[in-house]
Amino acid sequence: MRGVQIFSGNSHPRLAETICERLGTVPAKANLGKFANGETSVNIDTSVRNQDVYIIQSGSEKINDSVMELLIMISACKGGSAKSITAVMPYFPYSRQSKKKSHRGAITARMLANLLTIAGVDHVITMDLHASQMQGFFGKPVDNLFAEPFIARWIRMNVAGWKDAVVVSKNAGGTKRVTSLADTLKLNFGIVTTDRRRPKVPVATMSDSTVFFDAVDDDSRIAKESQPFELHMHSAHRAPATPPIPEEREPTTPPSERYLLRPETPPAARRLSELEAACEYTDVRVRDVITGRLVQGQLVDDDYRINEESHSGGTTPGAGSSSHDNTDIITDAMANSIISNASSQPPDHALGGSFDAVESDDEASVCGGPTDERTITLVGEVRDRSVFLVDDMIDKSGSWIAAAETVVKRGGASKVYCIATHGLFGENSLDQMEACRSIDHIVVTNTFPISPSMLRRSKKLIVIDVSSLLAESIRRHHYGESVSALFHLND
Amino acid sequence: MSTNSIKLLTGNSHPELANLVADRLGIELTKIMVLQYSNQETSVTIGESVRDEDVFILQSTKPDDINDGLMELLIMINACKTASARRITAVIPNFPYARQDKKDKSRAPITAKLMANMLQTAGCNHVITMDLHASQIQGFFNVPVDNLYAEPSMLKYIRENLDVSNCVIVSPDAGGAKRPRTNLGVSVSATAIADRLDLQFALIHKERARPNEVSRMVLVGNVKDKVAIIVDDMADTCGTLAKAAETVMQHGATEVNAIVVHGILSGKAIENLNGSCLKRIIVSNTVPLGDKIERCDKIKTIDISPTLAEACRRTHNGESVSFLFSHTVG
Repeated sequence: MRGVQIFSGNSHPRLAETICERLGTVPAKANLGKFANGETSVNIDTSVRNQDVYIIQSGSEKINDSVMELLIMISACKGGSAKSITAVMPYFPYSRQSKKKSHRGAITARMLANLLTIAGVDHVITMDLHASQMQGFFGKPVDNLFAEPFIARWIRMNVAGWKDAVVVSKNAGGTKRVTSLADTLKLNFGIVTTDRRRPKVPVATMSDSTVFFDAVDDDSRIAKESQPFELHMHSAHRAPATPPIPEEREPTTPPSERYLLRPETPPAARRLSELEAACEYTDVRVRDVITGRLVQGQLVDDDYRINEESHSGGTTPGAGSSSHDNTDIITDAMANSIISNASSQPPDHALGGSFDAVESDDEASVCGGPTDERTITLVGEVRDRSVFLVDDMIDKSGSWIAAAETVVKRGGASKVYCIATHGLFGENSLDQMEACRSIDHIVVTNTFPISPSMLRRSKKLIVIDVSSLLAESIRRHHYGESVSALFHLND
Repeated sequence: MSTNSIKLLTGNSHPELANLVADRLGIELTKIMVLQYSNQETSVTIGESVRDEDVFILQSTKPDDINDGLMELLIMINACKTASARRITAVIPNFPYARQDKKDKSRAPITAKLMANMLQTAGCNHVITMDLHASQIQGFFNVPVDNLYAEPSMLKYIRENLDVSNCVIVSPDAGGAKRPRTNLGVSVSATAIADRLDLQFALIHKERARPNEVSRMVLVGNVKDKVAIIVDDMADTCGTLAKAAETVMQHGATEVNAIVVHGILSGKAIENLNGSCLKRIIVSNTVPLGDKIERCDKIKTIDISPTLAEACRRTHNGESVSFLFSHTVG
């Protein structure tokens, strides 16, 4: 391509080389380094006057250095009279901080967008933004490419029996991504969601109520007030294992779930299109809601105890008297209001984080204090099928492992593929996922650099090359062709 | 009712200095959480309301960790802006990337200008800094920049700790001598200090091949049998400083000291200093020194927190800051 200079930042030179190879060129010469004091130094060693400049920079372990390097390179090219400057950012740093998630939190993604504009960028090419609304943060055009066609193609070519598999969203926030993949592959889908609030179990029915009042004594009431939550959890799981009854669901259930789990409406109440849809798709309406308990991010059995003190009677598992169980249930009902208040203002999140934030990114969503217990819910039928657990990025492993274990141990899935676009693998999450027996394969794309030692060490990790997509988008952008064809892959 | 009081925030770069400034101002540091996600992205949460407050954000930069410090600063500014602060003042004792202030080669980035733009984009309304490498950087901003001087504090230190009558001031850089002879609108000027102390003056001309490398040095002026004081605005790897000290000693000085505003002391600075003939190197605490004082007993520090605190106080109260250009406080 004439009149084009493609520069590579230090974060992911291999991706840049592959892209350049596909475009039949080599990365333009630039000298990137650091001054003695740690300031980033950039020298552009080739003329960029009146040329279209593309700068490829992903994240890296030193993400702020990568960001600064990109900004300085853009600024240097701007000062060198480039005709246009396009930042190619396969992984957009700080994309998870795209909303004010707590009081006085910064919207860093928007700030980064502004910084890029100020540095002199004219166009941004990125992939699978955490929230596609982020395109609105820029005053400049943004091409948000999707890795989904590549992932779909990989599944078609490499997974035996993929037609019987189920696509499962790892959290309720990412459901859109999942339904889109499920649609492409024409597969059923499900959701795994962790919930710090009440577990989804049947609430006490009226027939029990007479027993309740008889059974309440002062001792147990005091004990319950001190530990209302644990007690409630305990009692909830000891309740008779009847299938969940949607009508008795608490109003605190998130809207998405309420939709999925709403009681069957009589056919007359349905719109015609809904009836048609029901006829057209053979998939069974979601009846099975499987819940599990997560304590400190670990899936535990229903009779697992957090600590003995929470049980006023001191009964041994399985030997609890029926009156004891009943008193538990009544406190459950009494403590309801307290619990719902607590969930709207989680005490452990006085600083930083809110429920909303936890829902969309997995930061700290499955780890907490020793008594921190959550409910993990699996909606959808996965028994004896392969499961594609999907989200946009893998950073921490906790939520992935919890979801995989739920799907396998509770749902009875035969195989689990963890699939994400961006494999960040913070801390030693890859090793942890490697060690988890419920996970069979980890599939990511090469948008984010993965060190060769990690690749060698991991037997489960599969990396899909998306350089052709980025290369094609650069080519099309340069020649002024439409990029929209890249959103679907025809093969 | 808004109180519109001073709020002082700081990141992880230089908590000691921030505590000193907060003590001088008689306030508590605003509660803030600055940490990094597992993928090294910086996360900032401000723990108390800053709505309609006068916010000062003090952030220095640690050598080797400059970009992290910078992102922290930008994100803190942005967080305060979205939290409806009335005014946000960035207090940056050592302005990062100040040396990349001109297009000295083809296609060289003017990173200092980029910095200025970035700070303003993040939402900064005012900048307080100290001894900018080039005062022209003030012009890169469209918001007011107060460039404070460590010079009064340095003068005080020299008067109190050295035998002033027998000293000679040496500028290690011809650029340092060329600066105007007034102390207003000047960076650290060797001639200004010489003037104020009524001392003789010498300069070293050096030929620089690349940054942090010096090829040849020529001393102009008389230093024989005198206590030489080398004055500069920053000491980085100290290679230049060590060579300059050697040159001064070769010309017959009895001892040689260096007084420097920003003691970045990166790379092999400590080795260079320990191996040099410098008797002591006096730096201000604009840059966190960490364990360097233990590793090199030649390093002495000047506390400039009173000047920063006074500048914050005066800015907040709408008083003139120019008094600080020529006087120390406290």
